[in-house]
Amino acid sequence: MKGTPNKQKKRKGLSLLFSIVIIFGIFGTIVFAVSRRIAEEMSDAAIQSLSESLDLIQSTIEAILRSEAEFQTLIAQEIARAEDPEEYIRAYEKNQTMAKLSLILLGETEGVSNTGERFTEEGLDFSAGETVFGLPVSRSYLNYMGTWSYTIKCPVERDGQEIGTLYAEYVYDAIDRSLPDGFYNQEASLYIMDAESQRFVLKPKGMGQRSAGHLNLADFYRANNIQDPEIRAEVEGCLSAGRNLLFYHEIREVNALNYMWAVNGGTVFLVGYVPVEAIQKEGRTVNQSIMIVVASLLAAFFLCIILYYLNWRQQEKLRREQEEERRLHSQQLAEALRAAQIASESKTTFLSNMSHDIRTPMNAVLGFTTLLAKDAENPAKVREYTQKITASGQHLLSLINDILDVSKIESGKVVLSLEKFALNDVISSIDAIIQPMVKAKGQDFHLEVTGVRHEYLVGDATRINQILINLLSTAVKYTPEGGQIRLRIIGLKQRSSQYEHIRIEVEDNGYGMTPEYLKTIFDAFTRAENSTTNKVQGTGLGMAITKSIVELMGGTIEVFSEVDRGSLFRVDLELRILEEEADRRFWEQRGVSRILAVTGSRESRENMTALMQDTGVRLDACATVEEAVERLRGGGDCQMALLDWEDFGLQGAQSLREALPESVPMLILAEFDAEGREEALRLNHTDLLAKPFFVSALRAKAGELWNETDGTGVPEAEEAGSLAGMHFLAAEDNEINAEILTELLEIEGASCEIAANGRLAVESFQRSEPGEFDAILMDVQMPVMGGHEAAKAIRALDREDAGRIPIIAMTANAFAEDEKAALSAGMDAHVPKPLSMELLKKAIEQCSKREETG
Amino acid sequence: MNTAKKHKWLSICLAALAVVSLASCAQEDPKNLISREDGEKRAVNLFSPMEKIDPDAENVARTASDLTVAMAEEALGMTMVYRTYTAEDYQDKTYDEVCLDRARNDMDDLYLLNPDAIMALGAEGKLEDLSGLDSAKNLREIIRTANTVDGKLVAIPQEVVAYGLFVNKDLFDRYGLDLPETPEEFLECCRVFQENGIETPVGANRWWLETFVLAQAYADLYNGGNTQAEIEALNSGEARYSDYMRPGFEFLQTLIDRGYIDAEKALVSEAIEAEGPDFLAGKTPIVMAYWGAANTETAYGKTDFTMEVIGFPSSQGQMPVMPMTGWAVCSGAEHAQDAMKMLDVIISDEALQLYSEANRVISPSENVKVECVPALKPLNDRIEEGVYVLGSNAGMNVEQWGNTCQIVRLLLGGASVEECMAAFDELQDTALNQP
Repeated sequence: MKGTPNKQKKRKGLSLLFSIVIIFGIFGTIVFAVSRRIAEEMSDAAIQSLSESLDLIQSTIEAILRSEAEFQTLIAQEIARAEDPEEYIRAYEKNQTMAKLSLILLGETEGVSNTGERFTEEGLDFSAGETVFGLPVSRSYLNYMGTWSYTIKCPVERDGQEIGTLYAEYVYDAIDRSLPDGFYNQEASLYIMDAESQRFVLKPKGMGQRSAGHLNLADFYRANNIQDPEIRAEVEGCLSAGRNLLFYHEIREVNALNYMWAVNGGTVFLVGYVPVEAIQKEGRTVNQSIMIVVASLLAAFFLCIILYYLNWRQQEKLRREQEEERRLHSQQLAEALRAAQIASESKTTFLSNMSHDIRTPMNAVLGFTTLLAKDAENPAKVREYTQKITASGQHLLSLINDILDVSKIESGKVVLSLEKFALNDVISSIDAIIQPMVKAKGQDFHLEVTGVRHEYLVGDATRINQILINLLSTAVKYTPEGGQIRLRIIGLKQRSSQYEHIRIEVEDNGYGMTPEYLKTIFDAFTRAENSTTNKVQGTGLGMAITKSIVELMGGTIEVFSEVDRGSLFRVDLELRILEEEADRRFWEQRGVSRILAVTGSRESRENMTALMQDTGVRLDACATVEEAVERLRGGGDCQMALLDWEDFGLQGAQSLREALPESVPMLILAEFDAEGREEALRLNHTDLLAKPFFVSALRAKAGELWNETDGTGVPEAEEAGSLAGMHFLAAEDNEINAEILTELLEIEGASCEIAANGRLAVESFQRSEPGEFDAILMDVQMPVMGGHEAAKAIRALDREDAGRIPIIAMTANAFAEDEKAALSAGMDAHVPKPLSMELLKKAIEQCSKREETG
Repeated sequence: MNTAKKHKWLSICLAALAVVSLASCAQEDPKNLISREDGEKRAVNLFSPMEKIDPDAENVARTASDLTVAMAEEALGMTMVYRTYTAEDYQDKTYDEVCLDRARNDMDDLYLLNPDAIMALGAEGKLEDLSGLDSAKNLREIIRTANTVDGKLVAIPQEVVAYGLFVNKDLFDRYGLDLPETPEEFLECCRVFQENGIETPVGANRWWLETFVLAQAYADLYNGGNTQAEIEALNSGEARYSDYMRPGFEFLQTLIDRGYIDAEKALVSEAIEAEGPDFLAGKTPIVMAYWGAANTETAYGKTDFTMEVIGFPSSQGQMPVMPMTGWAVCSGAEHAQDAMKMLDVIISDEALQLYSEANRVISPSENVKVECVPALKPLNDRIEEGVYVLGSNAGMNVEQWGNTCQIVRLLLGGASVEECMAAFDELQDTALNQP
């Protein structure tokens, strides 16, 4: 069945071709038939035309001969009347027609001529018996003038008695004068031939080409290659019978009509040929015209076909494009439908998961609160239950945060907050977060930093943290106990001198992923396993969030994974480099110009040298302790020394310490859990520096060693101030939340007055004495009057403290935009719900400081 | 180009085509249907010989001559009307006889004449003096000398005709023969050929055997340094033409006696027609002919063997014989003045250059130089050296070319050498007795 349409198409094509051939065949036949008919008619016309022309010439010559004969008869009569006929002859002057006039009287053999000499009939041949209108005519001969001539003789009779014979010699040239100057545009050839001798006696001027056989009939036929025996026989027949003859024969490769035309009953013949084209000039034009018309028709026909074809091709192209568009459209629709279905399914699954995931901690919370009520008297149980409730609550909170994050990213509301940060800080905090997690699962975590030239960068450090935490926590999650996790920060070749090109690789040897799952790993609401059947908990949104953030930063994320072999996540980011002028000054101020670094790894040495490049400090990197010691003994100067603990251990540290001057501090480069590092710390003027090496870390440590703080590092988390004795006005519509707040503040030794909405809060503040409230804690979403309006209203109050009393937003709207909106409304700080007392304390302290500083 | 643009151009082209087609249909009919022609064309009649035609060969000589005639026709707006005569056989009047008849009766304007006719008609005053033509100023002196009769330049040729022996060099080489320089060497060559089965080594016709005679007769006269004095002696009767002619006639007699020439056949044979086929077939090693025959396919322009053209044997070595044919204007002709104008163009340097290049011949103009074909080189070398015999000389009171031809025919017909010499004496006596 598959071949059928093709066969049909082929059959259709063949029948079309066949039809075209038939049409052309018919057309060709008609053209051929018309042309042939025209050719035949033209041939008839040519023969007729030539016959008429020859008839005309024949008539002319015969008329001349008749006149000559008649004239001669008249002269004979004149002579008969003359007294002295011979004297009459002698007196007669020759003229253009008659070259010689002679008379032989009866009974004599010799006579007289008008040319003066004696005349006899000798040399004149009348034997053929030819006549001109009854008078005998001689065979043609070359006369005394060197021209062809003939003689007609006429009896001279007096009183019925013949007294002599009159001979008149006529030259053929006389005939020439009466003929036209050529015919058929001088393309025709014409000779006058004496039939008896077959000599050509005259070629009239302007008749035919110059190089024809001109001597006699045989020469003419030889020159023109007319050798066909049948034609020659026909010629002989015509000559003897005095008939006319016309036949086609090519003369020098030109088709010609050849003729032999009897004159005067066959005594003289017109011989020659006319090229057919000369006769059929109009015929050639007609033929050319037919050909032009046919060619024009064919050209027009083919032009139409071409135009039709072009149009058809255009239409076909358009049709194909439309079809393609429709197909694409359908495909897109189908894909969209499928995506919608998948999304719907995903969301259903997600909801199902969420339902499960939310219910699980919620179940724990509610269960333990039940147990709490039951075991309220048992403090140990109460502590245990509250800890578990807290854990479940935390999990619930992270779940909700993730969901909100995804929804925000998907709606495009996330804005990056670009600010200066040190790569070291990000890595340190990540290290601090991940280390406990990996330790808990007994996994091996290794951190490498290579090729990074600049560690002070500009970017959204929080979001970078988020990326790293997401990737690493995923790795921890999906790597079994005892597995390995590697974090590599690699400085790639810079594409621009202003940007550091950083590659983050997180590799594990965990469960890995199937190729099918790899395709959907970055889609929201997916998870390697259904959470209802898997012990691994999570929202399944982490990777979607990560990818969205990476792309928001203009970076790329890739993943490579094999089931049971592990996964590799690779993130490429370009972060703007921060000018490090301050760093250079820092070292100069402390007189540090040379640092001795001893590390066995060449990569480390290069890395350290690269990082120190812009600080103005020369780093002398040694591969061995011995080399370092040698350098020191050789007078090498340095203000600080670094030693890789993993490479040289305690012994190396001791050797180097001994070689170093007392005042020069030595820093041991070690991972934060390196074994035995405490022993090294016992060495004189020696401290630890956490791996990987970062200039910022070195600088912070140098600051410590020189008993300074430079203020550029990440500020240490300060112990938040106490709330004891403070009195707050809290606007909170939710009674439970209000109660929790009250209780928590009481725990901290503070008190509060609750207002059920913004208006009441404003009124309460209005009523209060100045200084009665230390701060106002303001929920945002409240009935009657929202937090923002209330804050504005408070700030607008005509009170001395209305402008400066700290108003702290306390809301479940926990995003940066929410914070911004709160600040715009005149509030001083923003603390997200669920409420963390630590954050509240910090916010209040900041507000107090701000107030103090004015 | 996008599709819209293509369509636009296509439409414009079609529209233009339609406009052109419609415009071509417009035509205004003239009131008089006979087209106007230039005034009546003047015609000049030329009487010249025409060879019999071989349908397969192109006649180069005629073509070259026609080219110059066409040049004149175009330049002057005249037409040349060709008239011709060729004898059918030896019994017919010769071309020269017809020429004389026609010129004496003022039948034609222009004639292409052989030396004897030039001499005769010139003496009769029937030919125009051509020395006043512009083109005549460029002529070589030899041409002027040979064609001056009674102080009038009566004829001018388009080429200097030189006669020579056409030899089959391959046959000479085959029999170890050198090309002959003297009559004796020539006879020896003939003997060797005859011994080797070539019964008649010399192909002859009734026209050109005189060249042997003239070469031997006048080799010393023209190349001895005393030409003028010797001619004056002949014209005065102090010297006899028969004395000069005798060795050549005796030589011919020997050729006839030894069968080196077929006298009977020669007497009734036209030039080239009789001896040509055998020469071309390699059967006859020696023929005589004019320069142009070496260039013309209808004659000996294309041979299957190595051909060389050398001079006739004489006491001075190989001797070219140069008769002077030429164009002459009949003084009594109807269009004599037009004929003079035509001739002026036909013999102009430009026309002669064209003619000489086409035919590779020696030009009568001092200004025209053309290289000859290799076969003609030996003959050409002699002419360039200034060694030759004039076949005709209008300065001699007895016409040479025609008379010698006629008397050689007597010899061929069986007359003795003595009888032939008597004929010369008679001619000389007649000339001396003329006033």
